[in-house]
Amino acid sequence: MAADQDLITDVTDVEPVEIPGRWDFAFTYFAGNAASRFFAEIRENRRVMGTRCPKCRRLLVPARSFCDACFERTTEWVPVSNEGTLETFTIITAAFPGLPEPPVVLAYVTLDGADTALVNVVTGVDCSDIDAAAARLFEQPRVRLSFVAEPQGRMTDFSFVLAD
Amino acid sequence: MSNPVAIVGVGQTGYRRAHKDKSSSDLIWESAKLALDDAGMTIDDVDVVVQGVAPDALSGEICGEKTAIIGAGKPHLRVNTGGVTGSSAAFSGASYVASGRARAALVVSLERMGQATSSQQVFNTIFDPVYEKDFPLTTITMAALRASMLMRMYGYTEEHWAKIASRNYRNALKNPLAHIHKDYSPQDVMDSPLLAWPIHRYEACPMSEGACAIVIADERSAQGRTPAWIQGMASTSDSYAMGDRIHRPEATLVDLLTLRMSAERAYADAGVTDPVHEINVIELYSPFSSAEAMTYPALGLCKAEDGPAFVDRQGVDPELPVFNPSGGPQAANPVSATALVRIAEAALQVRGRAGDRQVPGVRRALATGQGGATQFSTVCVLGAQRPPARS
Amino acid sequence: MTDLFIEGVALDASWRDRDRSLTDLIFDAVRAAIDDSGQPLEGIDSVVLAAHDLVDGRSLSSMVTAPAAAAYLRDEIRYGDDGAGAFAAAMTRLEAGHNRRTIVAGWGRASEHDVDAVSHGLFDPFFGRPVGLDELAVSALRAQAWIQRHGTAGRDAAWRRRRERAARNPRAVTQSGVQQSAPYPLRPEELPVWADFAVAVVMSTEPAGVKVAGMGQSSDPYHLGDRDLVGMPALVDAAGKALADAGAALSDVEVVELDALTGFDEALAVEALGLAEPGSAFGYLAEHDSVNPSGGCAAGYCAPAMGLARIVEATLQLRGTAGPVQQDAPRRALATGSSTIGSQTQTAIVLEAA
Repeated sequence: MAADQDLITDVTDVEPVEIPGRWDFAFTYFAGNAASRFFAEIRENRRVMGTRCPKCRRLLVPARSFCDACFERTTEWVPVSNEGTLETFTIITAAFPGLPEPPVVLAYVTLDGADTALVNVVTGVDCSDIDAAAARLFEQPRVRLSFVAEPQGRMTDFSFVLAD
Repeated sequence: MSNPVAIVGVGQTGYRRAHKDKSSSDLIWESAKLALDDAGMTIDDVDVVVQGVAPDALSGEICGEKTAIIGAGKPHLRVNTGGVTGSSAAFSGASYVASGRARAALVVSLERMGQATSSQQVFNTIFDPVYEKDFPLTTITMAALRASMLMRMYGYTEEHWAKIASRNYRNALKNPLAHIHKDYSPQDVMDSPLLAWPIHRYEACPMSEGACAIVIADERSAQGRTPAWIQGMASTSDSYAMGDRIHRPEATLVDLLTLRMSAERAYADAGVTDPVHEINVIELYSPFSSAEAMTYPALGLCKAEDGPAFVDRQGVDPELPVFNPSGGPQAANPVSATALVRIAEAALQVRGRAGDRQVPGVRRALATGQGGATQFSTVCVLGAQRPPARS
Repeated sequence: MTDLFIEGVALDASWRDRDRSLTDLIFDAVRAAIDDSGQPLEGIDSVVLAAHDLVDGRSLSSMVTAPAAAAYLRDEIRYGDDGAGAFAAAMTRLEAGHNRRTIVAGWGRASEHDVDAVSHGLFDPFFGRPVGLDELAVSALRAQAWIQRHGTAGRDAAWRRRRERAARNPRAVTQSGVQQSAPYPLRPEELPVWADFAVAVVMSTEPAGVKVAGMGQSSDPYHLGDRDLVGMPALVDAAGKALADAGAALSDVEVVELDALTGFDEALAVEALGLAEPGSAFGYLAEHDSVNPSGGCAAGYCAPAMGLARIVEATLQLRGTAGPVQQDAPRRALATGSSTIGSQTQTAIVLEAA
């Protein structure tokens, strides 16, 4: 039998323990044939391809192996223009750990010929005055693709730049 | 044949940046105990436990919920549907009870993101690793892309975003469970630092920890208790691809097609035909002002193009339902639990147990859930009146 | 209670098929299950998923993956746990009248993630991870507790027969893509054959070839020290509930598909369920093909798809379309699914030829 002074009835009188941890797990993502072909076209031919759904006939960009709305495999591969219209955007102005240094302009763009919009960063925008930059992008300007010098077969091989 | 089911107990730990004095299992247990006490039940009266935790990476624990209130032979479910995790868990519990396989369900959602050093870095890893994760897509930028589209399409201004946020903060002053207790004016919101144009810091939800629990009971178990009957509940999922929705003829990216579909189904089951006048309180899963604005037309409260005017009418027009008497997610956003908190708060309003934030005479309340790439939408209609058994 | 039926099934097992992304695997399995059901897509109103964020390497997996399982504009929910549990939850949704026809799908792709790291990461950061626990360690602890009571006689014959069945199963992956060392007292041949799985079922309230006759679910507490590791009470409880729900006895069951991480866990489950006397599981397994005719975890393994894979294999047996591993016209089958951590939750499903 424990003596009275050994009985613990209050656990709040203690320094809470904190254990440091890291959430670090390695993965290998298989892009599959559709995205691999999409990336190869960017790398080799500097062009963006879409796939067409045989049912709804939408040209899906970036290319994918199936249309999730119709739940059908896509069939046809079709290139789209290197120019398009900016649909919506944000200008990231605050820094977050592990993410690119601000300011960053992120936008969805519909390349001419596509039925869907594609996300990427818009480079070369003067962000010294955020409100002025926002006003410019709010007008849905025309943009075109700008490819990096040595494409690796990733989405980061290109970005959007203002067309004029 | 759906048997009537009701929420008869609610328990919440309260929400704050971190509960450093409590483990995950402590928080789960505390909310569960409060809910069972509120229902006048013990764990033995419950036949299934449903827990929601999403995403695991925010807490750095994979199965943190499996350390508490599990065992003793009860069925246990682990729901993970992002932002709608809490409402999905509630609906799952409701299905077990309505099917007759459980007399009552205990539903608990814990958020433990106080253990994360950076939520936005984690949120970047929810995006498609092949086409999208290379870009700084996060919950904030995803909302900002929609906010700028709403401004262009329907004429919202930064003042509208600020007014919505300010009202939510003001309501939270009466909710002791809320994380943020600050009386920010619309000007304060607009003067707060810009995170991602057009979103300012005080328009964005905080990172909050805490657990929420409810008890869902069948008709027999609800007798002699204070029920909030589930009159209608519906969940609908959308395409992941945001770019595919920009030109969608039936509803664009900012028109929340899935929330509209869920509302239509839930209203039909609840017998709601005129939501503005038949619903007294609306608890919205709206972690950003612009996310709240998107819900108004989807819930049938106004036309999309009348959204800005609808914001201006709030608090002035006594005909309108009361929005987020709890303060909503802008005053506390425990991600896994937030959609369940909406249901719990709506249930407290219907049951007349909402304390200082109680809205007088609530007969019917609505709670929404929103998750994924504005992709998963849930609607739950709760009322004081027992719904008829459907055949 | 409303009668439920399985209308369509598909099981897609592979290893490191670089032609297909994860969403391709899911689409292929779900499309195949819908085609197998003969039902139009429009008649399906709901989708119930079993997928784990950390297995998928996507921190909110269903955001990216649910559309590949036909979730578009449907009532969809995801459980971050075993597929048989998701199947059971889908049953309650149909029985409650909340859904009419449902796709249940589960997947896991061992070739994309680090199975050992994930297995270790499942445990809590205070008591479990610091002492090095992982799922295989739990299986080893169970095995050692059993060996101390019963010894190891007959062990080799049991595994030989199981591997032979897996080798005959045309749906199986029989070479593990992950090299693991076997924690004592487990042996390499008892370890799971890691593979990539996408599994799908179409279930509805309309009569079809296989009836879902009963369901039971149960759970164990978290801490291993609080559990009966050998007796598997959650499994026994779940199976008992499922059989009672179906109005059947264990002796009425002609095929059993058991979800088990290792061959040893399978042996323990056989005894816990009462199929074999204590200490005789190896002998029983060496003589019976009716337990895991598919080969069980020797035919490929990746959580959280396994419980649903067991349901699909049992369905094929009742349909008489299991191929070279087909048993002699069984009328009733029991399938189980267990979840992390260390089989903490168990689901049992009784299926009958309708």
